[in-house]
Amino acid sequence: MRKPLSIGPLVLTAPATVGLLLFFVAPLVAFGVYSFLTGTLYDVASPLTLDNYKDVVETDVNRRLARNSLVVGGLAAFFSVLIALPMAYWLRYSAGRWRGIVLFLIVASFLASYLVRIFAWRSMLGRNGAINRGLEGIGVIDEPLDFLLYNRFAVTVALVHIFLPYVVLVLYAGLAPLQPSYLETAQDLGAGRLQRWRRVVLPLVAAPAVSAFLFVFVLSAADYVTPQLLGGTSGIMLGVQVQVAFIGTGDFAYGAAMAFAMLAGFLVLYALLALALRLTRLDRVRFAA
Amino acid sequence: MTGTRRSPATGAFTIAGLVFLWAPLLLVALFSFHSTGSLTFPFEGFSTRWYDEVFSNEVISTAAKNSLIVATSTALITVLLGTLAAYGLTRTSSRLRGPLSLLFFLPITLPGLFIGIALLVAFSRVEWSLSLVTVTIAHLVYVFPFFFLVARAALERLDPALEETAADLGAGRWTVFRRVTLPQVWPVLVGAAGLAFALSFDEFVITFFVIGPDSTLPLYIWSGLRRTIDPSINAISTLLLAFTMLLFVVTFLLTTWGERRRRGRGLTEDPLVLTGPAEGTT
Repeated sequence: MRKPLSIGPLVLTAPATVGLLLFFVAPLVAFGVYSFLTGTLYDVASPLTLDNYKDVVETDVNRRLARNSLVVGGLAAFFSVLIALPMAYWLRYSAGRWRGIVLFLIVASFLASYLVRIFAWRSMLGRNGAINRGLEGIGVIDEPLDFLLYNRFAVTVALVHIFLPYVVLVLYAGLAPLQPSYLETAQDLGAGRLQRWRRVVLPLVAAPAVSAFLFVFVLSAADYVTPQLLGGTSGIMLGVQVQVAFIGTGDFAYGAAMAFAMLAGFLVLYALLALALRLTRLDRVRFAA
Repeated sequence: MTGTRRSPATGAFTIAGLVFLWAPLLLVALFSFHSTGSLTFPFEGFSTRWYDEVFSNEVISTAAKNSLIVATSTALITVLLGTLAAYGLTRTSSRLRGPLSLLFFLPITLPGLFIGIALLVAFSRVEWSLSLVTVTIAHLVYVFPFFFLVARAALERLDPALEETAADLGAGRWTVFRRVTLPQVWPVLVGAAGLAFALSFDEFVITFFVIGPDSTLPLYIWSGLRRTIDPSINAISTLLLAFTMLLFVVTFLLTTWGERRRRGRGLTEDPLVLTGPAEGTT
């Protein structure tokens, strides 16, 4: 028999709901309001205005930062998915008794500290870093390569390193419903390696791959730490500028407008990707387990 | 079970991927034992001098203590709020289910930059001074969705018949939860709590905005990275790696042990048998 008090279970969600409304939704709204207020030094004042957004769009420097964010975020997301796909495939269908240990290594690297990874790449790519010293050691180069660090390339490599484990796990989970026997059937029906990928594997992982792509893109494009530590002057990105507005220059309204313009960009990308999935009907591909 | 397919190409890719993931981290660990201040090859001999330096540095131990305090509080509060929310949401048929699920998931979709600045703005508006308390609040917002998603998935997998039968036999809500639901899901909750702790312990992006005068370990590493070459950063990083791995292994073992024990008992005993008298009957 059903207990009469139907409100019961919902009450349990109240603490979390109140907490998130107070410390997540309300602060975001306040942050959003800042972008429409008139900025004064280290504060905002009342007349509502769209000038902040106008400033953001009209400032030339921002165009370069936006391009950097777009390129770095796009490349990081693209390469994360590209490298993760064969890894997830191998884990699902070929790993055998190695699956446990490889999954362990991937999850363990996922938990490795974010700043430590950035630091590690500085040690790898620097003028005296492991790669330059290694190449010098085997005599490939005489002079250290200077183009490895303090640019967009270094930022992208570190971001791929940071997000790759996550993408592998997402795609691995996405492949779960696709039984190995399906691949065998496709093979028996005469589908070659390429055909099996194109017509069986890729349609199934399309939706998780797009969501992983979006996740990596958004987190990379808005990152303010990696570009600051590895990007040098040429690799600076939008997130850095937002951070500087709040921590350095004190131009809150301008920083807020920049952040929300960036968020609008993310939403547009999300809509485009969702539309692409729908148009190609890949959002509906499901395999019975 | 089906056999494994041979796929040398993806196998080679996986090995390359693992090297890519681990080589930089192992390099950091190797040079944390370097006898000179150089962070790069050639390796000139082992020494633990950087570890001695780390362990005798009071700024670092204070930062580590702060990190532990924040991560422990975050994990404990998250377990409480997250379990309640996930249990409530999976057991209700209210129309608020959809909107609430969205709210509980939403913080994951926003980059830390947004959460950090939004909270900085909010805290300054209500004139709360920044401290470890504000850091913990920020971490709760950040960590909550991760815990919630795992807990909800575990609770949804349960057979509702077990809880209904217990309730029909006269067990009150709390008894049903404690004696039927919790024994089935606690291993997963422990794993998710470990994840919450690890996420909080390592959090930098949001923390940077809401920390005030205190310091945490990630914040210390950040300031070290901004300074010139500081070899003790290698030692801290390696300790941090070792700590996270240890935490992961312990959580993993605890979770699998719990799962195995639960399954084992499920096979030998009727899971419907409630040991001890049912309390809190209505």
